[in-house]
Amino acid sequence: MAPASLRRFRFGRSSVEARSGETVLAALARRGWPSLVRSVRYHRPRGPSCGVGDCTGCLVRINGVPNQRACRRVVHEGDVVRSENSWPSPAWDLLGVTDHLLPHGLDTVHGLRRPALLTGLYQRAVRHLAGFGNPPDFVGVGERSGLSARSAEVVVVGAGRSGRGLAGALVRAGVRPLLLERDPSSGAGLPPGVELLPETTATFLPPPEPPGAGFSLLGFDAERRGLVVRARSVVVATGGYDAALLFEGSDRPGVVTADLALSSARLPLGKSVVVGGGARARAVVDRLGSDAAAVVAFGEIGPDLAQVASGLGVPLYPRSRVVRSLGRGHVRGLEVARRDGGGHFRLRCSSIVLAHRRLPNAQLLFQAGAIRRWSAVPGAYYPETDGAGRTAVPGLFAVGAAARPEDSATPEWEDVARAIVAGGSAAGPSPTPGGPRSELLPYYRELLGERRRGKWVVCPCEDVLLQELEVASARGFRGLEVIKRYTGVGTGLCQGRYCLPEAILVLAILERREPTEVGYITQRPPLVPTPLGALASAAGEFDREAVP
Amino acid sequence: VSLGRDDYRTVVVGAGIVGLYTAYHLARAGAGPIAVLDRGFLSSGGSGRNGGGVRQQWETRATIRLAREAVEGYRRFGREFGHNLWFRQGGYLFLAENRAELERLGRVHEVVRSEGLPSRLLDAEEVGRRVPGIAEGTVVGGAFLGSDGTVYPFPAVWGLYEALRRVGVEVALGVEALGVRSGSGRIEAVRTSAGTVRTASVVNAAGGWSGEFSRSCGLEVPNVATRHEILATEPMKPFLDPMVVRASDGLYFSQTMRGELVGGITVPHAPGTQRGVPSSARFVTTMARALVGLIPRLSGLGVLRAWTGFYDDTPDGFPLIGEDPRLPGFVHANGFGGHGFMLAPSASRRVASAVLGEKVDLDPREFSPARFLGTSGAPSAERLQLG
Repeated sequence: MAPASLRRFRFGRSSVEARSGETVLAALARRGWPSLVRSVRYHRPRGPSCGVGDCTGCLVRINGVPNQRACRRVVHEGDVVRSENSWPSPAWDLLGVTDHLLPHGLDTVHGLRRPALLTGLYQRAVRHLAGFGNPPDFVGVGERSGLSARSAEVVVVGAGRSGRGLAGALVRAGVRPLLLERDPSSGAGLPPGVELLPETTATFLPPPEPPGAGFSLLGFDAERRGLVVRARSVVVATGGYDAALLFEGSDRPGVVTADLALSSARLPLGKSVVVGGGARARAVVDRLGSDAAAVVAFGEIGPDLAQVASGLGVPLYPRSRVVRSLGRGHVRGLEVARRDGGGHFRLRCSSIVLAHRRLPNAQLLFQAGAIRRWSAVPGAYYPETDGAGRTAVPGLFAVGAAARPEDSATPEWEDVARAIVAGGSAAGPSPTPGGPRSELLPYYRELLGERRRGKWVVCPCEDVLLQELEVASARGFRGLEVIKRYTGVGTGLCQGRYCLPEAILVLAILERREPTEVGYITQRPPLVPTPLGALASAAGEFDREAVP
Repeated sequence: VSLGRDDYRTVVVGAGIVGLYTAYHLARAGAGPIAVLDRGFLSSGGSGRNGGGVRQQWETRATIRLAREAVEGYRRFGREFGHNLWFRQGGYLFLAENRAELERLGRVHEVVRSEGLPSRLLDAEEVGRRVPGIAEGTVVGGAFLGSDGTVYPFPAVWGLYEALRRVGVEVALGVEALGVRSGSGRIEAVRTSAGTVRTASVVNAAGGWSGEFSRSCGLEVPNVATRHEILATEPMKPFLDPMVVRASDGLYFSQTMRGELVGGITVPHAPGTQRGVPSSARFVTTMARALVGLIPRLSGLGVLRAWTGFYDDTPDGFPLIGEDPRLPGFVHANGFGGHGFMLAPSASRRVASAVLGEKVDLDPREFSPARFLGTSGAPSAERLQLG
């Protein structure tokens, strides 16, 4: 018998111990680097990269249900966890040969048409390369039916710093908010009067119909049960995330974001090169300590970071470009180029931590109809908000990193709470900041001039290559909406979080126009893949609802 | 945005599959110069929003014949346009939940077979073999035709767009057609957001917006735009071959080449063509309930995204193909009821004939726009408007 605080689960043929409340990824990471899945199309080696449940690098099949994120799933006693999309294992995958046989990728738009006799065979092969896992096993193993239907005056999505801060202010203003948190987080430190639903993912927030009516927020809980919250006001405090970066082999296992490096799942990162020159990179260096191998930044390196790094004896490479990751399979090093005309050089490391750009988790706001405003730094769309967090949608508020770049002034929680209590009305447009231009545009312009040897994967979820964007562009197809449909970029499981921010910049260069002129996609619900069972259980809630 | 010329022989309104195909047939007939206008981006309308189904099982001979020729068109598409549609003939399987539905499918099946297509009636057990995991007792049987199938719609748009540019057809994106100007009883010019251009004929292939465009040209038409919604799940390894359709609630779904289940279901929507109206909770949850009810093992599968588009419906279920007798030079290519993509290769040839003043190879009682003048439409009706 395992002690009460330990859980046992099966992973492949072995039995693994996990601490209470630990995720599958964290438990596996204590045994070494977890190889869990191969990519679609080319069966490229992949590793956990985002740490926040959005990338496809830690997909596993749990109790017969495919495509679950090991980094999100808390271990339950007796769980059966299996790797996906590989045979015999993700480390040694027979179909990994696809990657080598197709060094320039597979042109599915024009290719594989001839000879006509073989089209059936091509279709079978391509269908088999698509998708990560098999359909779920019979009848909802590990899926509980049942719906949790709630109502609240105010629901706050996200129990991070901003969500908690605002929840406290709401209590002081006499409102008892319902707080949803995707992470397995405890209610410790919450002000009395705040109810927390941990491990609960808000996934679909349609604009109220008619405008001004209350919100119906759809989501699901840790048991993947459905949740509907009816609320007069919704506050989105979903924070930010660390962006990906495009370079050759940027999808290699060992390339991770700062989110993952700073997460509670302590992956064996080993010696790591940190990319970025600001506060986020500094936090990563603090965490890595003597495992920090170097700091590489596109521009200058901030004085705080420089001081910490030199204290640890970590070399600094400002004004540098990440050209390619090195290694077969896992990262073994990094090739860097000096942007001021110096040559290429190589750094040895076993992981690369991306801490160069923090982007907003604003998708829920755009689903609900918030207006988008481009911010050249960091190069992302933010919701249009006023000084009290109001958006253009009555009753919809945005606070924290989801609402504005992290270094800009944040409103006082008391002001936001007062606006919510008063019944938030539409915001007037706030002044568009004149701000500097994105430093990433000239960076990517230089990078696209590099000689390419291997694949540059823009969209790791669907294995879309940079070359495919270039072909589409050269053929006269313009704008992100069209390129999305042409190449599939942005249509994968991460909903475009890790490819669209880079694709916008690349297209701006290819189309010789501003990032804003490249356009953006319509934010399609749901926010993250949402179990059909959870949605089905909520159907009765909407049977009589008017549809626009 | 501006247009390259100030006069054209034909201006096609709508750069969807029907408009592009029509322009292609016209260009091949040497009937240039031609412009195709679209107020949105390429594939922004129904041609970029449909479920990719291509079927030949219909209630009426007229539609079956048109659909059969369309299937041949899509089979040839790769050779003709150099783009791969991934036309996979995995069949269309219509489910019957009870005896009455099975009888209706039996009647459809008789018409389909009499047109020389080898459709089959299946019992519940055979349906179960083709839909792995289907819940027991949910069907009593079905109708199946193996040469029906699915395409990946986008490459059809790209292939036609590139072919048109090669033969000198101007495809102007971001240009909206606002109306027409007529003189001595026929079309003289079309007014656009990029100025007025002279033209001898205008083709209305505006999909969901074709009713609005006809009306803005002073032509009362029965077209009604209806919003429909659709969703896609996470991609999986292949497990389902046919497109599955259920008549009772309009449920349809298939597994695409990318592994996603893509499908929709009928939920009531108010008519109208307002852009930017997002997916509804009612649709997403209703669709999920129907899918899980039919195939319970799918309950753990994630929904990846949902989107909306418009059907361009007519009262009798037949499209409007041909010149409008009230305004010579104004040619209809609309009213496809959500099946423009299915019928485009064959229907657009007839549209081109109408523009060229040739005899249109269709029964005017079913397809002529004139059938709604003074009468309520075709003597028969095409009611198999699902999937």
